[in-house]
Amino acid sequence: MRRPQQIRKFIVYALYLLLFSTVQVTFPGILTFYGIRADLLFVLVVLVSYMFGFYDGIVFGALAGIIRDYFSAPSITTLDGTVTTALGIGLFLMVAVAAYGSSFFTVRIERNFLLAFLSVVTATLLYKVIGHILIFLWSNLVPGLSYNMGLSQIITRSVLPQTVLNLIAAVPIYLLLRFAGPYKKGVNPVLIDEKRKGDNSWLTM
Amino acid sequence: MRRLLLNKRFLTAVTLLILLAVIVLGSLPGSPINSLLKPVGAVVNPVQKAVKYSGNSISAFWAALTDGIAIRNENEQLRAEIAQLQYQLTQNEEAAIRYEELQEAFHIREVFSNYDIFGASVLSRESDEWFSVIRVGAGNSDGIYLEQGQSLAVVDVRMNLVGRVIEVNEDDSDILLLLHEGFQVSGKVNAVNGATFLIVGDASLKQQGLCLVTGIDPDTIPNVGDEIVTSGDGGLFPQGIPIGVIESVDTSNELNITATLRPYSDIEDLNDIFIMVPFEEEVQETNETTSADS
Repeated sequence: MRRPQQIRKFIVYALYLLLFSTVQVTFPGILTFYGIRADLLFVLVVLVSYMFGFYDGIVFGALAGIIRDYFSAPSITTLDGTVTTALGIGLFLMVAVAAYGSSFFTVRIERNFLLAFLSVVTATLLYKVIGHILIFLWSNLVPGLSYNMGLSQIITRSVLPQTVLNLIAAVPIYLLLRFAGPYKKGVNPVLIDEKRKGDNSWLTM
Repeated sequence: MRRLLLNKRFLTAVTLLILLAVIVLGSLPGSPINSLLKPVGAVVNPVQKAVKYSGNSISAFWAALTDGIAIRNENEQLRAEIAQLQYQLTQNEEAAIRYEELQEAFHIREVFSNYDIFGASVLSRESDEWFSVIRVGAGNSDGIYLEQGQSLAVVDVRMNLVGRVIEVNEDDSDILLLLHEGFQVSGKVNAVNGATFLIVGDASLKQQGLCLVTGIDPDTIPNVGDEIVTSGDGGLFPQGIPIGVIESVDTSNELNITATLRPYSDIEDLNDIFIMVPFEEEVQETNETTSADS
């Protein structure tokens, strides 16, 4: 890759990373429904990793995770009942999401916009379902901590609204990455090389 | 070996394992992992401030613009001037409201004379349902320190309970909001010998902006509309901070009577908060009370 292209890539990634992470925690009222808000950074990481491949996704996801932990780390109640901030969970989440996004149907099917949105939907569903299961299990381990959400509440007040909101947010973010993203024509040239070698399918959108 | 190191699945698995270790290490008290995030602030804080400033400016400008549309139809020449005046008026009204709020906040000093009050702006809000700690701009550098087992109450500009401090960093602090399921505070009906109970955050009520009231004695069931304040039991919070009002009472299970409470504090619209730090003598007393309680 030529130097100007690399500079463009770094600038665009840095810009989007800082912009989306700060907008997320500064204006909480953007795209909200019943207390649930669209997770812009999460959607961005899924789409970057799906559209531009594993290495872009992992690095971008790790940086996004660090910023998320810095801005609003999750709090956990430890076994002795102390509530503390748990650093590293955002980093773990975003790296895992990036790994998922970069491997979402990219080996056998060429990357396309429908699958990009599907990757956002499935990643959100997985995140929410696994998250609720882990919190439920942890609540049973910690004395005095209860998790009163029923299955229907989890689905209608958490999983579904989050999935729909993330899907809505995915549309402008996809367009941004495609037409004003880190690569010209929205295609990572490395993926084209991988396609030639038979390692991967390249982007056709 | 080289092939293994380039294998994406292997890389992902190793990275995630390392990150799991980081999470476990980070949750230990006094872990150095927490200080690793300090340099991140140097990069992201100025950007966040710029984004916040731009957003506020745009919304203020937009408000001024929309206010000016009606005037524009009446008089072309006066439009710009009136829009400008409207804009200034909005700004002044904001300033007036803020001034009144701060004036009210000063009363906190009179009511809780044993506490130092530190004002701070909310720097960042929750990211999502679970990444829910909010960060405020006051920390060690302002003289706020959190001892092991201590809890610092956080109130809004109208002196209503907002949450508590769970982590104090050099320039900022992490706040656990009272709607969060990890939050607990002992409360009582704001009356002489008012009944006491436990107010906890609840995952299913959080999205409606409500808290759960548990530990209700069947003989002293609170009524809908009762004002609830902190009881001071346990010594973690000072007595008498307004929390909210009882919104509903569920007596269907006599062995577990519960109620819902709507906090006074407008959690969604927090801009400034105040951290209540007890004076040193108070801290010693609190620690003694807490150890006696436990």
